[in-house]
Amino acid sequence: MHPFGDLSAYLDNALSSEARASVQAHLDTCALCRTRLAELRGTARLIAALPMPMPSRSLVPRVSVPVWLAPLRTFATFATGAALFLFLASAVIAYFPRAQSASTAAAPAASQPAASFGAGGAASAGPQSGLTVTPPAPVVASDRSAAAASATPSDAAKEVTRQDSAGPSANAAEDRSRRLTPTAESAPFAFLLSPWLWLVLAIAFAALWFVIGRRLRST
Amino acid sequence: MRPEPGRASDALLDRARNGDARAFEQLALDIERPLYRHAARMLGHDDAEDVVQDALLSAWKSLATFEGTSFRAWVFRIVTNRALDRLRSRKRRPELPLDPPSESDDSVSWAEPVAPGPELADLAADREALRVVEDALATIPADQRAALLLRDVEGFAYDEIAIITSTEIGTVKSRIHRGRVAVRNVLISRGWKGSSG
Repeated sequence: MHPFGDLSAYLDNALSSEARASVQAHLDTCALCRTRLAELRGTARLIAALPMPMPSRSLVPRVSVPVWLAPLRTFATFATGAALFLFLASAVIAYFPRAQSASTAAAPAASQPAASFGAGGAASAGPQSGLTVTPPAPVVASDRSAAAASATPSDAAKEVTRQDSAGPSANAAEDRSRRLTPTAESAPFAFLLSPWLWLVLAIAFAALWFVIGRRLRST
Repeated sequence: MRPEPGRASDALLDRARNGDARAFEQLALDIERPLYRHAARMLGHDDAEDVVQDALLSAWKSLATFEGTSFRAWVFRIVTNRALDRLRSRKRRPELPLDPPSESDDSVSWAEPVAPGPELADLAADREALRVVEDALATIPADQRAALLLRDVEGFAYDEIAIITSTEIGTVKSRIHRGRVAVRNVLISRGWKGSSG
């Protein structure tokens, strides 16, 4: 009887000495079993010669680095992105309010000379009030109340005209002061609107991310 | 079996057991590619990477409980078990049983050559032959594939494979023989023949 079932173990030198001697004795007399053994040997060699597949990444866990380092890198990644976003956002905010205030300030200044010319005898006050776009509202209001207290009738008529002519500029100043008020209230946090702050933070977080990444890659 | 790298490896193992993470990483680096090779041929590329990474992390966590002398065989055991578990859970109805019904190894069918062809021993450099071998390996039961790869590729002895696959040495002998004959049959059916030497 052919010892087919033992041929692989014989090939692998995994038989007991008695079994091996028995198979060897049979092989000496059986060409078929020698052929089978050669086929199995060739098969084993082919299996051993298969090309070595390569992993696409390192599979060794970096157990020598602190466990918090990987989460910290993740944090640094997101923080870098967030800081970059805030940098862009604050840069946009810092640019557009300036353009907006410039346009609102230009509008009363342009309308003012026409109103002053309509005041006639108050020509000297006209250009002055036309130029008083920037003074804050309280100053204008106190001027107005002082003038009203000591005004002659003719002066009062002029004053009414002045008030009318000064109206747009005063309103503009009040608008500006109203606009400025919230900014003045949030002054302690105004630095948050600085693009430079976020740019510096973005660079700092990116540097942190880079350093941690190198540490994680090293073994 | 291929010998362990030697005393340097033993020293690394001692240091790793004592909590030296860098020593463990060096040990793992030495067997990373063979582990991946084994897992990839058991599972395919994507799952193999996950299995090897998880197995190495598990090995690090349980290194204190490892009492054997062969770190390589121990990690191969973890990888093989995880690969077989994943294969079992991959399909509710496996195309091939992990362990086919038992029959005598002497009754394993041997395909006959259909036509004269090149000798198997001369085909190690033939890409076509190697592709046929890879395809054939993919069609045999996973338990046979694991045992055959551990023997023919990784060079483990039968008793080591018995420990790695948590089975009897007689079962290892049977799996290797059946798997090898199955691959041989595929090659023979493709027109190749073995030398009679």
